[in-house]
Amino acid sequence: MKNNIKLKVCGIRSPANMMEVASAGPSYMGFIFFEHSPRDVSRTIAQLPLEQLPEHIKRVAVMVNKPLDKAREIVKKFKFDLVQLHGNESPEYCKSIRKEAGVIKAFAVSDHLPDELEEYFDCCDYYLFDTKSDMAGGSGKSFDHSILARYTLEKKYFLGGGIGPDFKTDDESLYPGLCALDINSRFETSPGEKDVSLIKNFMQNLELNKTSSINLSGCFPDKEGFYGKFGGAYIPEMLYPNIDELRKNYIEVLESEQFKYDFKNLLKDYVGRPTALYYAGNLSEKTGARVYVKREDLCHTGAHKLNNVVGQALFAKQLKKKKIIAETGAGQHGVATATVCALLGIPCTVFMGSKDILRQQPNVLRMKMLGAELVPVESGSKTLKDATNEAIRHWINHPEETYYLIGSTIGPHPYPDLVARLQSVISEEIKKQLLEKEGREDPDYVFACAGGGSNAAGAFFHFIGNGKTRLIGVEAGGEGADSGKTAATIYKGTPGIIHGCKTLLLQTSDGQVTEAHSVSAGLDYPGIGPMHAYLHNSKLAEYIPVNDKEALDAAMSFSRAEGIIPALESAHAIAALDKFTFSPDDLVVLCLSGRGDKDLQTYEKHYS
Amino acid sequence: MNPLQELLSVKKHKLLSVFFTAGYPEAGSAFSIIKSAENAGIDFLEVGMPYSDPLADGPVIQQSSTRAIENGMTIELLLKQLNEIKGKTRIPLLLMGYLNPVMQYGTDRFIRDASGAGVSAVILPDLPVSEYLRDFQPLYKKHGISPVFLVTPNTSIERIRSIDNASDAFIYVVSSAATTGKQKSFGQAQKEYFQRLRSMKLKNPLIGGFGIHNNQTLSQAWENLNGAICGSAFLKKLAEYPDTDKAIKQLLDDLGPDSGNNN
Repeated sequence: MKNNIKLKVCGIRSPANMMEVASAGPSYMGFIFFEHSPRDVSRTIAQLPLEQLPEHIKRVAVMVNKPLDKAREIVKKFKFDLVQLHGNESPEYCKSIRKEAGVIKAFAVSDHLPDELEEYFDCCDYYLFDTKSDMAGGSGKSFDHSILARYTLEKKYFLGGGIGPDFKTDDESLYPGLCALDINSRFETSPGEKDVSLIKNFMQNLELNKTSSINLSGCFPDKEGFYGKFGGAYIPEMLYPNIDELRKNYIEVLESEQFKYDFKNLLKDYVGRPTALYYAGNLSEKTGARVYVKREDLCHTGAHKLNNVVGQALFAKQLKKKKIIAETGAGQHGVATATVCALLGIPCTVFMGSKDILRQQPNVLRMKMLGAELVPVESGSKTLKDATNEAIRHWINHPEETYYLIGSTIGPHPYPDLVARLQSVISEEIKKQLLEKEGREDPDYVFACAGGGSNAAGAFFHFIGNGKTRLIGVEAGGEGADSGKTAATIYKGTPGIIHGCKTLLLQTSDGQVTEAHSVSAGLDYPGIGPMHAYLHNSKLAEYIPVNDKEALDAAMSFSRAEGIIPALESAHAIAALDKFTFSPDDLVVLCLSGRGDKDLQTYEKHYS
Repeated sequence: MNPLQELLSVKKHKLLSVFFTAGYPEAGSAFSIIKSAENAGIDFLEVGMPYSDPLADGPVIQQSSTRAIENGMTIELLLKQLNEIKGKTRIPLLLMGYLNPVMQYGTDRFIRDASGAGVSAVILPDLPVSEYLRDFQPLYKKHGISPVFLVTPNTSIERIRSIDNASDAFIYVVSSAATTGKQKSFGQAQKEYFQRLRSMKLKNPLIGGFGIHNNQTLSQAWENLNGAICGSAFLKKLAEYPDTDKAIKQLLDDLGPDSGNNN
């Protein structure tokens, strides 16, 4: 359909089916609070993981003459975006509940449009036209649509009532004002269980939801940025307007045609994507499985970091920001930011701990050559944690024209989601490449190292919750995960708040953030992205620590086996392979997040 | 009403508060600082609970926090100290800190124990107002603790209204979009911003902070708002003068002749 008609799937009842329907990508999902309906969720709603629904799918509570206080309670408790009212709710009722959520007022239609439409004009957001029946909707039958051709009101409407897979229209002018189709019983295998392939075909045939072209597999936070109990935005008031600006704009910008076009082109011609998916024969033999290496080390500047930076810099331009600031630990994110700022002509300031400046000289020199201003951070631990603090403080002091380009899936909402979406290109490519090489999209395992967690988020993204792939995040164990000198945040951390989000972090019992320890500066961070804390808690991914020495040894043997010198961060993921027993048919993807040139000094020191 | 609310109900103008970090310069400094401030006629006190990563603070408060943590200051110890001096002082006390240490102590337990130690109000700059309303308001109310929220020149009108609604002591007016201790002087922009707030006729009094360090900044806050809080400037005096009476006297000298004993 040309007019970008949206889809609402109504009558969702079970958790698994809900997530499956979400993957088809409707614009609305409806949950029925009406005990006479076979799809009633009044008693079972708490079992549905609503917080896992992506933000762009609006949740609708469908109700029939529910007392106002009950209706309010449901909306507030389960954070519904809209209510859909099928009973004799008065205009005053609609007005009142509309303070809490959007209102879709449903009308039963037989052979003419209802007379009371105008009465409700000012107190609802949409109308919904349903077939007249004894059951307040849900009959599965349709009414004569020809009366809709005479619809002249300004208010948009949803069309429900027995819309089936065979629904089609060659002439959209027959439906003036139509904004969404509401489907339910005719797309089911049994009451409440939707047939997702029918839905997908229907969407494709009618070209529904055209503007929402995000690939909807993945892991998204709720409206307030929570992945389960982790995430959110815990920021002082001074940052509120900045964060609010990002939150309100990021999805729209990322979804715009212009952004998609620019991002895709820069990824292809500047970053060098798609990066190769390389069958590592020697490593496979040693490991006893079929191991593919995702070569993020081949990205321009030598690591996956550039994917995120290109995307965020385009976003910053779209927001008309005049200056970009960034934090860096190992210097990879700093170099990536300096690189893209040079390309786009945006002044760039990078905050880096003075301790890291000493141990990452090559990257310091690269940033300078690229024209970035480097600010050494002397506060606290003088590493990544405090570089992040200083970048945030700088942002507080220069709020209006500065864009803070965060380097990992950390920080206040929307950063973790923004970065994960931009890095998700990694797993998007893996899927396509595996299909070509192995005839299937989903591997048995994905391994990725995780400090803040951006390459792991990108490598896991499209495999999360598929029921087929074991996702293994590898943390830096430092001198030993129990030695007290570690960066294994998931293993050793406890829930708390760091840099504006709730996640797992290394801290003392009275809540002071402690220093992380790892030979690899890029993993040397006492927190981890909230998405990973959530994936760990919900057992959608597994996290294991690998020690300094194991990683250093793996870097050497991998270099000699495959002729690729890995970054010390990525070497943690390589070392983790030894901790698993595979069967020869297992398909393993290892995300090689970066190349090892920057670590040569450390390697030399270790091997000599 | 808690002691802070009582004070604010009778005194509406030229309120003066000072901020210090608990455990700075020494682990046990709080008592003599509180006494000296009370004797010098300070209206109420903001006691900082030190945190390793204070995002909203400039270098002076950061350094005092680092030092305080090294001195062994914790929420537990601070509340113990406040319990010990309870009854020996009448000056209203307000605790300021970041959410993480409070979460680790246990938010419920913290509000209960703070109230038991005679605290009137709590400022947690990184606690979202929405989360306060959803999860913590009944708890604060039960224990008679007032939440204090910040507004800045960039806070929207609607947000200021909702903050005013959520508050029952005062609104903390951050003088400019900056971390603590950054501002050298207040200009026309601050004046207009203060006046804009005043013209909103909010139900809570307005107390200004961030950058109050001399007569010019104090006068401007006093002229347009109900009072002022002085933080970084006071910490500098504490670093310079081990005698807390002297530190507070030096601060009052800087702030101007009519700032002390203004009751």
